[in-house]
Amino acid sequence: MANLKKVERQASTKKKVVITGIGIISPLGIGHKAFWTNLVEGRSGVSPITSIDVSSYPCKLAAEVRDFNAGDYLGDKGLKYLTKGTKFLASAIKLALEDAQLQNNGNFPEYAGVIIGSALGNYSQTTDYTYNIFKLGPDKLLPMASYDVALNSSINFASVFFKLKGPSRTISSGFTSSIDAIGNAFNLIRNNSDNLLITGGVEQISLDSYLLFLLQGLLSGSHNSGPEKSSPFDKHRNGFVLGEGSYVLILEELDSALRRGAKIYAEVMGYGTTYVGSNRFDLEEKTRRVQRAMELALEDGALSSDSLDLIYANGNSSKLLDMIEARAIKNCLGNTLGNVLIASAKPLAGECYGASGAMQVASCALSMENSLVPPIANLQVPDPECNLNLVTKKSLQRDVHFAMVNSIDPAGSCSCLILGKGQP
Amino acid sequence: MQRVVVTGIGLVTALGANVKESWETMLAGKDGIAEITSFDTSMYKVHKACEVRKLNSNGHLITKKPFTVYDCLLAAAGEAMEDSGLNIYKLLNRERVGVSVGTLAGELSLFEQRLRNHHENKADGFDIDVAMNYPPMTLSTQLAEAFQLEGPNIILINACSSGNHAICWAFDAIREGKVDAMVVGGSDVVPQTEFTHFHNLKALAPEKCQPFDKNRQGLVVGAGAGVLILESLEMASKREAKTYAEIKGYGLSSDGYHMTAPHPSGEGAARAMELSLLSARLSYKDVDYISAHGTGTPLNDKMETLALQTVFQERAQHLPCSSVKSMIGHTMGAASAIESIVCCLVIKEGVIPPTINFETKDPECNIDCVPNQAREYKANYTLNNSFAFGGNNASIIFGRTQ
Repeated sequence: MANLKKVERQASTKKKVVITGIGIISPLGIGHKAFWTNLVEGRSGVSPITSIDVSSYPCKLAAEVRDFNAGDYLGDKGLKYLTKGTKFLASAIKLALEDAQLQNNGNFPEYAGVIIGSALGNYSQTTDYTYNIFKLGPDKLLPMASYDVALNSSINFASVFFKLKGPSRTISSGFTSSIDAIGNAFNLIRNNSDNLLITGGVEQISLDSYLLFLLQGLLSGSHNSGPEKSSPFDKHRNGFVLGEGSYVLILEELDSALRRGAKIYAEVMGYGTTYVGSNRFDLEEKTRRVQRAMELALEDGALSSDSLDLIYANGNSSKLLDMIEARAIKNCLGNTLGNVLIASAKPLAGECYGASGAMQVASCALSMENSLVPPIANLQVPDPECNLNLVTKKSLQRDVHFAMVNSIDPAGSCSCLILGKGQP
Repeated sequence: MQRVVVTGIGLVTALGANVKESWETMLAGKDGIAEITSFDTSMYKVHKACEVRKLNSNGHLITKKPFTVYDCLLAAAGEAMEDSGLNIYKLLNRERVGVSVGTLAGELSLFEQRLRNHHENKADGFDIDVAMNYPPMTLSTQLAEAFQLEGPNIILINACSSGNHAICWAFDAIREGKVDAMVVGGSDVVPQTEFTHFHNLKALAPEKCQPFDKNRQGLVVGAGAGVLILESLEMASKREAKTYAEIKGYGLSSDGYHMTAPHPSGEGAARAMELSLLSARLSYKDVDYISAHGTGTPLNDKMETLALQTVFQERAQHLPCSSVKSMIGHTMGAASAIESIVCCLVIKEGVIPPTINFETKDPECNIDCVPNQAREYKANYTLNNSFAFGGNNASIIFGRTQ
């Protein structure tokens, strides 16, 4: 008890950090309104893959971004050498800045920065470049071919395009990348002098990323494992369906947000992360580590688990991870398990790995804003091993005051973020 | 707020397989540049780099090449761990120790080795065992497994300032009391892909790296790894560990200007240094030594000089400011981690490694780059600059542990 008091006192001296803008380029639509409407109405972004040739491989479905023209957001100049991922990210940032009313009205702080999570960056464009060194010869590659093929070049482009003078950072810790990015941005604002950071995640479907997940047997429908479908916590779940896109949040210090009369979606309250690790560890050890990340996030937000109303679960339909997460949630919540709703946007919007955390944080903020929790689509036979208070079938009206978002890498970390409804 | 100290260091460079060998060779003013052996350079105009020739693995010195990014990282981390004594500290709570490392390219060279023999069709060249090494995350997770660390596991991808970013992330986490210690650093080898980028951008010098020299021609790519053990002063004191230095503060900024060229006035670089002074609560008069970003490209060195003049005013001309890149090459994601170790050693050992290959003074680089000869010198505060492509700047200040 004394320990908890100490945590509370420390937390109270820190600055508060709020989300004041959301920008989304997603398989469920462009902009957070389209994303949210489709999510709560259960319309799926999953369809046959068209951006790459998968005719010789077993998995045919993914959630791809469609009807997206970067020129609509970035203007038509200078886009020629940009990758799909860079266009996603820069466009999502543009939408988020507009949503936060930070464009062209003198509100834009001089030293805004950008911290983005991406597990694979411009993976296929990098390997294309390498391939062309051998195929065509290095002297055939123009300097401009190097323009946007680094792991962090999407973020560099955004920093240059939006003339950002603050920190610019790419975090690439696998599936937890964007929770780690948001957690990092939150910490920098809370503890340091940064007052506005653009944060979130970006990923793009490419043949390389598709094969990377397919050949590890992580995709639903690989290894003849049944129909291709993302159905988290379902008894018959068999892996995830790939997604892509960019989800961007504007984080700023509460006082400055209030001063400029900004709309506040939610407050970011806490962040926790642990290394969960490879399959060298047994189920119990992994569960313990996932649970610890959740507890660290709660402790960081000076919140106890019985205050939670909602968890956006990692729930990506993976056989093992869903079970580990369900057990960890049970251990963490204890007696209040039945009061806490469990949601996941991944069955409809896809598992966009490094960007998934930001997708779930955006969904969570929109749940708070709209007092509405979308259903976990495709959930037909709940797995008795994952006995949670899952939102199924249709959206549920619920005031969400405090929520947690989980993100777990199949072989890396678990990172969790706590959101609060913030100021009325 | 916890204070953060450096209690262990590990180095793999073209100059040597450990700290002692690398440091002594730096002080002797020798470089590690040689013909590239990991790939055929006959298609290029430049043929030299500072590749790693040997490293320690499980107590054995190995010279079998090519080394992977993780080989270099693990060797440096092993040395740093042993140096700090952290791995044998009986009260160590492994839940409160994490990893944060940076890289520019990760294991891209493994993919290249595969493609060299399978480049008829790109999909045929895809090999899952190679691909699984591509996500940079594999570097930090393997380290966590090697040292059984359960704390945060973070990879920062910030091109040539990755190492400094990794140190800054860990510094924050320890300062806030979220963890007791972190294994931090950076590692890169010389992938043909990165070599080609730099080559085709005409950023490479053919023979030698000459930071701040009037006739400098560009950078020389290097391989290597630098790892530091950072921990709270509280835990270091409790276990009576030796310390190299304390991290006093850092500053991050972006130019927001251009994808490859730095801002010509150096305003972003100057701001990173000014923010680091502010965060360390020091004045520009307190800094005794600067480890320059000093790549040896015409643009960088001129820009860095302007930034130094902005921040250090009348002191800029006489403040020792050297670049070990003249000897170990530009080790990309590892560079700022290695140069952070240099900043610690300058404080600890009282000697500054030189900028070698310095022949002709450049009026546009009117600074004291400690030309050609190491210099005995007592420093209480040292500053490490890293200014990456894309205008991505990170400066860190180290101080003598009080």
